[in-house]
Amino acid sequence: MSGADATIRPAGSGGMGRGGEVTAAAAVAMDPTGEAGIRAPRHGSRLPVTVGGLVATALASARGVIGYAVLGLLAAGAGAVADAYTTVTLARILALGLLAVSVAVVTGWAGLPSLGQVAPFAVGAYTAALLARAGHPIGLVHVGAALVAAGLFAAATGLAVVRTRGTAFLMVTLAVGELTAAVAARWTSLTGGSDGLAGIPATRPVWGVPALTDDRHVYWYVLAVTALVVAVTVAVLRSAAGLLLTGVRDHEARMRACGHPVAVYLLAAYTGAGAIAGVGGALLVSAQRYISPADVGFEVAALVLLAVIVGGTTSIGGAFVGAGLIVGTRDWLAGPWPGHAPLLLGTVLIATVYLLPGGLAGLIDRLRQRAARLGVRS
Amino acid sequence: MSPHRMSPHRRRPWRLTAAVISLFVVVAAASGCGGKTSGADPGRVRIGFLASLSGTYQAVGTDMRDGFQLYLDTHGNRFGGRAVDLVVADEGDGGPTAVPAATKLIKSDRVVALAGLVGGGSVAGVVPLLTENKIPLVGANGRPELKDPTWVWTTSFMSVEPGAAIAQYVKEHVDGPVFAIGPDYQGGWDELKGFTDAYVKAGGKLANPDGKTVFTPFPQTSNFLPYFTQVRNSGAKAVYCFYAGRAAVDFVKQYRQSDIKDLPLYGAFLTEGSVLDAQGPAADGIFNVLNYSPDLDNAANRTFVAAWKARHDRSPTTFAMASFDAAAVLDKAIAGINGPLTPQAVNDAIGRLGPIDSPRGGWQFNHTTHAPVQKWYLRQVRTDGRALANVVVQDLATLGNSTDK
Amino acid sequence: MGLVDAYLIPVVDGLAYGLLLFTVAAGLTVAFSVGGVLNLAHGSLYALGVYTAATLSDGTWTGLGLAVGVGTLAGAAGGGVLAAGVAPLAGRGHLAQALFTFGAALVVADGLTSLFGPDELPVTIPAGLGASAMIAGHRYPAYRLAVIAAAVVLAGACWLVAARTRVGARVRAAVDDPQMLACLGVNPRMVQAGVLAAAGGLAGLAGVLGAPIIGPGPGTADAVLLLSLLVVVLGGLGRVLGALVAAFVVGLIQTLGVTLAAGWAPFLLFAAMAAVLVARPARTAGGTA
Repeated sequence: MSGADATIRPAGSGGMGRGGEVTAAAAVAMDPTGEAGIRAPRHGSRLPVTVGGLVATALASARGVIGYAVLGLLAAGAGAVADAYTTVTLARILALGLLAVSVAVVTGWAGLPSLGQVAPFAVGAYTAALLARAGHPIGLVHVGAALVAAGLFAAATGLAVVRTRGTAFLMVTLAVGELTAAVAARWTSLTGGSDGLAGIPATRPVWGVPALTDDRHVYWYVLAVTALVVAVTVAVLRSAAGLLLTGVRDHEARMRACGHPVAVYLLAAYTGAGAIAGVGGALLVSAQRYISPADVGFEVAALVLLAVIVGGTTSIGGAFVGAGLIVGTRDWLAGPWPGHAPLLLGTVLIATVYLLPGGLAGLIDRLRQRAARLGVRS
Repeated sequence: MSPHRMSPHRRRPWRLTAAVISLFVVVAAASGCGGKTSGADPGRVRIGFLASLSGTYQAVGTDMRDGFQLYLDTHGNRFGGRAVDLVVADEGDGGPTAVPAATKLIKSDRVVALAGLVGGGSVAGVVPLLTENKIPLVGANGRPELKDPTWVWTTSFMSVEPGAAIAQYVKEHVDGPVFAIGPDYQGGWDELKGFTDAYVKAGGKLANPDGKTVFTPFPQTSNFLPYFTQVRNSGAKAVYCFYAGRAAVDFVKQYRQSDIKDLPLYGAFLTEGSVLDAQGPAADGIFNVLNYSPDLDNAANRTFVAAWKARHDRSPTTFAMASFDAAAVLDKAIAGINGPLTPQAVNDAIGRLGPIDSPRGGWQFNHTTHAPVQKWYLRQVRTDGRALANVVVQDLATLGNSTDK
Repeated sequence: MGLVDAYLIPVVDGLAYGLLLFTVAAGLTVAFSVGGVLNLAHGSLYALGVYTAATLSDGTWTGLGLAVGVGTLAGAAGGGVLAAGVAPLAGRGHLAQALFTFGAALVVADGLTSLFGPDELPVTIPAGLGASAMIAGHRYPAYRLAVIAAAVVLAGACWLVAARTRVGARVRAAVDDPQMLACLGVNPRMVQAGVLAAAGGLAGLAGVLGAPIIGPGPGTADAVLLLSLLVVVLGGLGRVLGALVAAFVVGLIQTLGVTLAAGWAPFLLFAAMAAVLVARPARTAGGTA
């Protein structure tokens, strides 16, 4: 089968070949026995459908789950060890990290570079802030309301926005982000104008639990919610949905030809990413007890895109690395070397664009592949 | 254009995440160990000073910092006998920069009290932090009315007062409606509200459409010509405004180049400080209301102005003076503490202070609003010697004692 | 006539503002159509111009002339550096190139605040231009009238170069068919570099001339970049005449729009941009759904 396919594939079309594999993988994922004639795998199945393969996958997942559990404990421990100010900063990094995850989903997985994820972020944040100030301090309610509000907002704007691609999409989302920031700054009666909303009461995670006044407790709450959202996101991205999305990203024409409703997939991804960003906004409000248009403006949008590029556009972990890098550079560098954060961030971006096309995650990938090849040879 | 990598389900991103988390833990541990302790040394006191060192109000913030520093320099860098560790942070244009900076001062630097703050919006943003962490603020510039000013003290004025002081004068001297315009943030709302409320109460009529003050987007407005067209079209006979810093320079210069250049211009802070030099001849004739002038004749002012001019080649402003007084308040309060130096003790001590001798004359805190009871003056920009300066024309009113118990 | 009288000044002001924006945006749109490079550092090139004006323009005509010369050169040099930086990324697509220019913008922003401080600097202009002129019985700053005149002259000069000279012909050829141009022995890369340098020079010149209008400060580069992107998108990426019309529209919204309905200007602008992008994606590169 492979021999015949080698002649079908045009030379040097790495992208097209990969797209074909992914389409095949998607097809197999949905139809393991290959009964659907049109969608029969052409390049050979790449997913383990043997029993041994399934067991290996289960083991790998278990290892992954244990690995994540250890990481979670380490992260929680970080909050216990650090001083109050660092803990607040770590909580803000987690909230911004969710925004970065949102950007990663749209930019890396759906292939649409976005400068507008701050818009659902803003919607979620202001929703949570207004709820808290209106006398509803329950964190669960904030997160839920932010998720729904931001998701609806993303769905509504997405109907228009996902009709564009590439640079056009970049600029439409920029316009959406700027519009939302402008509304936040001018709708003074609702949003407090350019000075923002202060005096947001402390969050109570669920009913019956007292308000979180200790910064450490706030950090653990934010960590817990972040971990939950990331787990759900990773699970969805690793399933058939993720494969379909990357299929659309890599070869939209083929997916369309196979009959997939590309616009629906992209809209779903955009809405989901919007919901993630909304939760991030609610967590930011819980962490810093203050929200202003500057937290959701063009600067933040650009820096978060930068964070995702640096971390690797498809890497969820990389999104958090990038967010931590951005916030860390601005806050911790402000002491010894004030005012020079843009220099460092700009240099990092230029270096990443030239040297690390896949970001930090791609670098680690390449190192691993190199190690594996060395292992094979020896 | 492909910003992506190979099939994503192949990677194990948790290895990268592990590296990140470990980095966090290391950094957190390091910062936890190296964190600053608060006032462990009883001979020293750590004070946080927050002012605009960048942005629209940079001139105002620098003046305030210099005024505070002047007090320290002329009093041996001590408050109440204890050496002062002054931590200065940048407030920026308002809440978005002020709140993170204040959070850092309170949580990381563990200051015993905060001082400064240029913008009313910054004060509104920072007050919840102060109330929750129980840190007193000795504010040295305008602020809005607060429901709970337990932890907030102001040595300058309430933002509604300048407009309220001049409203009667404007009503008497302007034959026709007045156009009110200001920047769209908390400080601007308060300043203009003080004027419009008092002016309408005195029987005046606003020329604005619908009688509502026009607010210009803050801080980005630098082109005021469209608004001057609105003023002209409204048939106003005078303009009252509040602008400071960079916006004041743009406003005044464009005012004199527009259709309404001959309309009398009344303002608060419009010509105060270094902006007067930047405005040049365009500022001539502007009326402004203030609680201080460098040419006031009292002993404290003579000493203050002399010390100031020895260090700076410009005249002192009300911002510098209020900041100087803030330092004086902290000095007297800390001197009056018996027992451990805690933020609560400092706050109580400030509440016990009596009359304060200041370059503006004597004043004391109104114990309900925590702001000064003081006199307001009308000034006009006139040629004083070789240069233009704000010259006191007459007294206006004494404000601040209406709600005192 | 009363209506005209009431709103004459905002319209003239909008003209001045719009022409200034056009001078900045024209370079951006041409650079995009030639090389496909979305130059997110364009605002920084304008910023180079305004800071040059703040430093060199000291109230004399020679100072202004010197500022104009140095500002244009600085902008052109900046454009050249960007072209050199973008060239190795040509195979990696528009996003990589745009990201590089964004990184460059960040670095330049830091350099400028380090050199000149974080505050907004005043710009001194020759006394003759600082007075007010009278238009139909209304006062208007003479300097802005001078900006209108200068921008019209510049636009005319650029049109002349583009339509009537060999260099202009090569640029138009590089837009239409770069491979054919290469067959004729002209390196399209060099044309792209030249266009980026020229666009940079225009931006720097616009910065020097526009310094009293959109002045030097830490937020200038971002503000000008956003406005230029607005103009370029509204006018259609790559269309200079469209950029001219769009610049007028934006200028009028910023002035007349503010006079009529002060709060709506930012919404109008960005909503229009989004609407144009969504309605006509085919006109923008990589835009078809």
